[in-house]
Amino acid sequence: MTATAQAKPAPPALVSATDIVQEYKQPDGKMLRVLDGISLRFERPAINMLLGPSGCGKSTLLRMLGGVRPWNTATPTSGRIEIDGVPCEGPHPETVMVFQHYANRPDLNVRENVLYPFGFNEWRRRVSQKEAGERVDQMLSEVGLADKRDQDPSQLSGGQNQRVALARALVLRPKVLLMDEPFGALDAQTRSTMQTLLCRLHAAHPCVVVFVTHDVTEALLVGDRVIVLSTQPARVIDDFEIAARQPRGPDWLASTEVRMMNERVVGHLRSSAGRGTVRVSV
Amino acid sequence: MTDFWNPYRSLAPGQQRWLGVFSVLGVLVLWSALSASGLLSKNQLPSPLAVAEAFAYLGWYEGRSQLAVATLWSVGRVAAASFLVIVIGVPLGVLMGASPKLNAVFSPLVDPFRSAPVAALLPIMVMWFGIGEFMKIAFLFVGSIVYLTPLVRDAIRAVPEGYLVSAKDIGSTPWEGVTKVLLPLAMPRIMDAVIVGVSVSWTYITVAEYVNAQEGLGQLIANAKRLSAMDQVFAGIITIIAVALLTYQSLMWLKRRLYRWETTQ
Repeated sequence: MTATAQAKPAPPALVSATDIVQEYKQPDGKMLRVLDGISLRFERPAINMLLGPSGCGKSTLLRMLGGVRPWNTATPTSGRIEIDGVPCEGPHPETVMVFQHYANRPDLNVRENVLYPFGFNEWRRRVSQKEAGERVDQMLSEVGLADKRDQDPSQLSGGQNQRVALARALVLRPKVLLMDEPFGALDAQTRSTMQTLLCRLHAAHPCVVVFVTHDVTEALLVGDRVIVLSTQPARVIDDFEIAARQPRGPDWLASTEVRMMNERVVGHLRSSAGRGTVRVSV
Repeated sequence: MTDFWNPYRSLAPGQQRWLGVFSVLGVLVLWSALSASGLLSKNQLPSPLAVAEAFAYLGWYEGRSQLAVATLWSVGRVAAASFLVIVIGVPLGVLMGASPKLNAVFSPLVDPFRSAPVAALLPIMVMWFGIGEFMKIAFLFVGSIVYLTPLVRDAIRAVPEGYLVSAKDIGSTPWEGVTKVLLPLAMPRIMDAVIVGVSVSWTYITVAEYVNAQEGLGQLIANAKRLSAMDQVFAGIITIIAVALLTYQSLMWLKRRLYRWETTQ
């Protein structure tokens, strides 16, 4: 190795998780290991799918990446999370999370819900009221809710509510967008529409997306990279990239290449059998 | 009849009102029959007609209305006490709900008094605050705030955790989490707590006005009792119930106007 190469270290990964272990104390006093030495790096804007059986600890890992900590347990038990090379200890301004239960405020209308973060002092300091308003209106038309801006969340469908949540996250222009089974509660038709919308929005606003799902088809359809986790305690059992361009239609799903990918993933998940289920919805 | 035992079936508004009027009329008929039968003396149970006459007498006699003056005094006392209860009890309850440490400090000072015999505090109040206006309002205040504060705390705690988790993720400071997330989302239940607090004040008004009152519905009832005017006692009680009910209904109406949403998750 030459001196110049040593003097110029590789740029830090945008998000890196190193040797993450998470254990919870159970009522009987035993320690339950949920995450078992997970190391991952996310270096460039892409949609990264975190695929694993339900209950395997994917969401726990995702919350750690976003600095969204459970109140009563130290996380992670051991290991290190860094964002832009800086250790992540608590909510981070460059990461935003979208939850399955979209957490839209029932007392605010659609536009106010997207404008919501700019009401907190941190964003009020960073972004002027005028610019915030412009960003919000722009984002509402991008997610297709411009005509619903004055409605209340209770008047919207599940898919529309999740659009509000997505708009609220993207309007902050995060470097890292974390999605915790965001479309898990939607019907198949709406889920498909939302997947397409996500790919389109990601192309317009590139960022590192980490997307948790237990749906193999969703992982293959949406992901630029698929990381497969085993059942508890979760380990990375596969990690591969998908080069095919969007949009990926039913024809692409039916191709031999994709079927082989599908079988490979399902095979992994079967061999790490245990509790938890995987959904294959082709 | 198939829907008789179905709690989720809502009645037509007309039917609801009609059944209510019917049951009140039923009691009136029973009351008239009982007092006309002569089984009970006039002082044990005045007839509805006698109570109506008492209403007329109290309502307007020799150019002044005792009933209106007494009602205004009582309304004023309940309003003053409720104002203080809201201004002090709501912030205290919010802080207790938002911080387990503050709750640990204040809970022993508030919660036990919910089951305390508040009426028995009256002599102590008289010793401390004398027999004037201040004592009456302080008594209503104590009686009401021990109910309101725990309810406000529970209202804050009932806000689903997800709203706070999500707000912290998008930049809320801990204090903003209280003022901009928990408080606005707890408002419908806080309003319920206020309604309970005001209703409790109305139940204590007669006790508060029992000592040395020159005015008020409690004094009106106490005086009438001293004169063995049972019809006036009834009139006074019915007035208190009516005013308290009116307060309750207007606050419920206000709550429905202001908060048409519900927290989910």
